[in-house]
Amino acid sequence: MRRRLLKAVALPGYQVPYASRELPIARGWGTGGLQVTLSLVGPCDCIKVIDQGADDSVNAANLRRFIARMTGVETTTDALQATLIQSRHRIPEERLREGQILVLQVPSPEPLLPVQPDLAKAREMHADADYALMWLSLYEQLVQYGTFTTGAEYPVLVHGRYLMSPSPIPRWDTPMLHQAAHVTLLAAGREKRLYAVPPYTDVYPLEFEDVHFRVESQQGRVCYQTGARHKLMNELPQPDGQVRYQLSDSGYATKLWQHQQGDTVTIGATYYDDAGNFYHRGYLKPDTDPA
Amino acid sequence: MAYVATRGGEQAMRHAEQFFRTLNGPVDTACIRLIQRHMPYLIDRIMGEASLYAPELAALALVQTGGDLYEAVLLLRAYRSTQPRLAYAIPIESEQTLTVRRISAAFQDVPGGQMLGPTLDYSHRLLQTELLDPTQAPPPRVPMPEADTAAPRHYQPVTTWQRLNGLLDAAPEHPPCDPVDIPDVTRQPVTFPAPRAQRLQLLARADTGGLLTLGYAGMNGYGITHPTVNELCLAYADVYLRNPLTGTPFSAGRVRISQAEIVTPFRGGEAQLGLGFAATMGWNEVKVIAAAMLDLEMDGPDPHPAHQEAFVLTHTEAVEASGFCIHYKLPHYVTFQSNLDSLRRAQTQASHRVPATEQNE
Repeated sequence: MRRRLLKAVALPGYQVPYASRELPIARGWGTGGLQVTLSLVGPCDCIKVIDQGADDSVNAANLRRFIARMTGVETTTDALQATLIQSRHRIPEERLREGQILVLQVPSPEPLLPVQPDLAKAREMHADADYALMWLSLYEQLVQYGTFTTGAEYPVLVHGRYLMSPSPIPRWDTPMLHQAAHVTLLAAGREKRLYAVPPYTDVYPLEFEDVHFRVESQQGRVCYQTGARHKLMNELPQPDGQVRYQLSDSGYATKLWQHQQGDTVTIGATYYDDAGNFYHRGYLKPDTDPA
Repeated sequence: MAYVATRGGEQAMRHAEQFFRTLNGPVDTACIRLIQRHMPYLIDRIMGEASLYAPELAALALVQTGGDLYEAVLLLRAYRSTQPRLAYAIPIESEQTLTVRRISAAFQDVPGGQMLGPTLDYSHRLLQTELLDPTQAPPPRVPMPEADTAAPRHYQPVTTWQRLNGLLDAAPEHPPCDPVDIPDVTRQPVTFPAPRAQRLQLLARADTGGLLTLGYAGMNGYGITHPTVNELCLAYADVYLRNPLTGTPFSAGRVRISQAEIVTPFRGGEAQLGLGFAATMGWNEVKVIAAAMLDLEMDGPDPHPAHQEAFVLTHTEAVEASGFCIHYKLPHYVTFQSNLDSLRRAQTQASHRVPATEQNE
């Protein structure tokens, strides 16, 4: 497992096949991430497990309970304290630092699947760096709907070479992978593939020169519990047809709330500032399309 | 707030499991023994899909999961993956097995004979409702009458005669190989096209229902095979190991196995019979017939998309398929929110667009 991880780190974005043993957790429920986490945790580690951004989601709680039971490792909900974060579908809002490991659970590792369901042929396309069908599908989205229609799991090009599925993280999180200080390890248990984004690696979403990748709009959304803005929000439908918003990152929300209660907590710098600017200036291009 | 809820969630999970166990009633050793004794075909099916021949553990898995087959298979597979590999069994030929049932649909009679063996094939499917009446004495056990002459223990395969008569290509030569070199699907990821060994392993541990669905589709017209069951065998196979000190082979025990061969003429553009094969641990006839038929179908020149190798072998993986299906119960609200963002944007774009007809005017 560790040898495969080294290979993955050496070939950013390349899908490395691995045995993927059966675990006492159902397939498709994070077994890939779990194998990576279990192969890496040591006695000095402190782990955080999140699902959709939340530490208290049942599946996250269950995986955390399992990892702690098997390894005796310390657990936390604070992204700054964690040495290893296993996550399904989110990256924490606070910037991760050098030495931290982010493990993303991957349901479907092959980004070419929507355009090429034959995995043997998709492998050849990766070998040839032949991503024409992906560009074509982006173009077709524009022609048909006037905008890119991909939601989460937006395909990215890693280190100028391999097209990669960043796992179903929202587009809000996609830029966080670019030139990141931490290492991101992505593993699919069912599909038996793992891949990596080493620290300080280029990660760019597929976009056109004149029509740009855009993150989910958080404009006008205010967290009803913390008053936070310009972070990824959960949309909570209300019985009266209205809606209210809540921070998706529960560990970050907890710290904001504690801070507001007068507790002493350390809140780290975030990827997006309070005005919604991403910390790598210029990475997200200004909006140029007509809407 | 969230950090309080963390503990609440863990408690809810514990209570949910407790609720499940309470609803299903207490479980004890006697109950596990009873299931093992009286449901051998169910036990066989689970052991086959789990690739672990352990009737007692299979019965335990079944009881522990309240009879949820996919959960039971997952339990056994997860247990299996923790076990060390102590030794490799010596390969045996199919005619070395202790065969209790062997039939061929291809000929009225075959060398060695048709042997019905234990089967419900020709039973009348009537519920024995009298067994439900506690006031009636249980029906007396009728002892099996002894045959005048004992049935053969081993049978010459039907393919031997077919090869002698030029109907089938000669079996491919297999130079002796170290079992360590056989690609093992439980230890190496599969890439397609898969080596024959991996294909047969995947069929052996595939979901019975999945193989039946795809196999039946082929038989029902979405394929080119009219399957003829060349041979169907239920047998006991000795697991021969070598004494690590003396090298002498010895039988470490017997397992129940099923094998099926399907033939059909004119496959692969040749005036020959095409042959499909499948075997599995445990007695499970419908599985090996469907699997052998799919084995043949996958090798066809242009198989139906649902009968292509990667399609069949990926989608009949019981643990992966069931796990992925039920994973959709997990929250997906972040991904859904992301989709809504794209959807709303496309709606806005549509309302801003000038319809094509107006542009032309």
